[in-house]
Amino acid sequence: MEKVELKTVIKDWRLHAIAFILVAITEAIGQFSIAVGPGVILLLPMLYAFFLGLGLYFTPLISEKNAKNAEPLIILGVTLLIAKIGVTIGPQIEAIIAAGPALLLQELGNLGTIFLALPLAVLLGFRRESIGMTHSIAREPNVGLIVNKFGFSSPEGRGVMAVYIFGTVFGAVFLGLISGLLATATPLHPLSFAMASGVGSGSMMAAASGSLIGAYPELEEQIVAFAGASNLLSLSTGLYFSIFIGLPLTEKLYSIMMRRSERKAAKGGGPNA
Amino acid sequence: MLKSVIEWTWVLAIFGIAALIGNWFGMDVLPWEAIPGMLILIAVSLVGLMLEKALPFSMPAVGYIGILAIIISLPWFPGSDYVVAWTSQIGILALATPILAYAGISVGSNWADFRKLGFRSFLVAIAVFLGTFIGSALIAEVILRWQGII
Repeated sequence: MEKVELKTVIKDWRLHAIAFILVAITEAIGQFSIAVGPGVILLLPMLYAFFLGLGLYFTPLISEKNAKNAEPLIILGVTLLIAKIGVTIGPQIEAIIAAGPALLLQELGNLGTIFLALPLAVLLGFRRESIGMTHSIAREPNVGLIVNKFGFSSPEGRGVMAVYIFGTVFGAVFLGLISGLLATATPLHPLSFAMASGVGSGSMMAAASGSLIGAYPELEEQIVAFAGASNLLSLSTGLYFSIFIGLPLTEKLYSIMMRRSERKAAKGGGPNA
Repeated sequence: MLKSVIEWTWVLAIFGIAALIGNWFGMDVLPWEAIPGMLILIAVSLVGLMLEKALPFSMPAVGYIGILAIIISLPWFPGSDYVVAWTSQIGILALATPILAYAGISVGSNWADFRKLGFRSFLVAIAVFLGTFIGSALIAEVILRWQGII
């Protein structure tokens, strides 16, 4: 990514004033939820802030230069978010250790996205965007990792933001819908789906475990305990899982797929080859 | 290094102000009540950014920042009560809102690229969520059965 001088970023008061106003307005509006079947579509201030900010780019208020200057604020803002997630985990460390190895191994389920979604992304014609899209479920720590490593306006950054935005808008309602559906339609135990409910954000967990409880009210307490512990663990280990396993594996698999398609193109030429 | 640290501090402080405004309007926490917690988060971020530059490992700054934040908030870490009490004044969504506000503004300049993602990225995102959810449930099923819990 092209580096902008931090000194000019700091002095871009027009940008910061606009951001402060956006934050004040959107937080004052507050949160809304729309019920859809067993789940909800959550409308959060951060979503209004994103779309209002985007809209402002197409007005004379924000110039190309202001937009470029916004990027370091995102990268450093994410570091503060990670620090906040960290200090939320520390006090709960004993609960995490007690939750045990079953929960830890269940984290490997994240690999499901790499094997299912990465081939689909490459098939649909995405290039390096697919790495950002499919290395994880794209929650805040994963966005932080990709932005930190590749930059916000890199292809990987665009990819992770696309899935992040999808997840923020539809994640809760989507998981809410499929968890009830899958738990009743497949032979897997509802408690396995309770653990899976913790893979994303808190609101996703609430929606996914909520519809499980709707389907199996007699298991309510166990479902809540399993989903909560899993969510805590995703929050604490998700980032390191992405750093050491998810992201390297996605990059490896991506380069293997790319090499194969290049070889195919070089060998055959025509579509029938 | 010193020049970078000073500039990081400025950028983090500007971002911190945006978050304190959001925290105030959204969660009704007065800015001066949240300032100690914000200073702790900024300090942790700064140390993490410095470690990334200073140490030879290829771990990104967010990795150091996460570990550091967990350590200083562990129950047996001296002073962790204050760390936890002060930082609890700052909501996670109050930090997310300014990130997304700046992101929206910044995305404008790559809007053409973003539009290209379009409907196809919607399909990939669905596959990402489905893959993770089902993958997790399958592994949980195997281990819970093996442990005899279900």
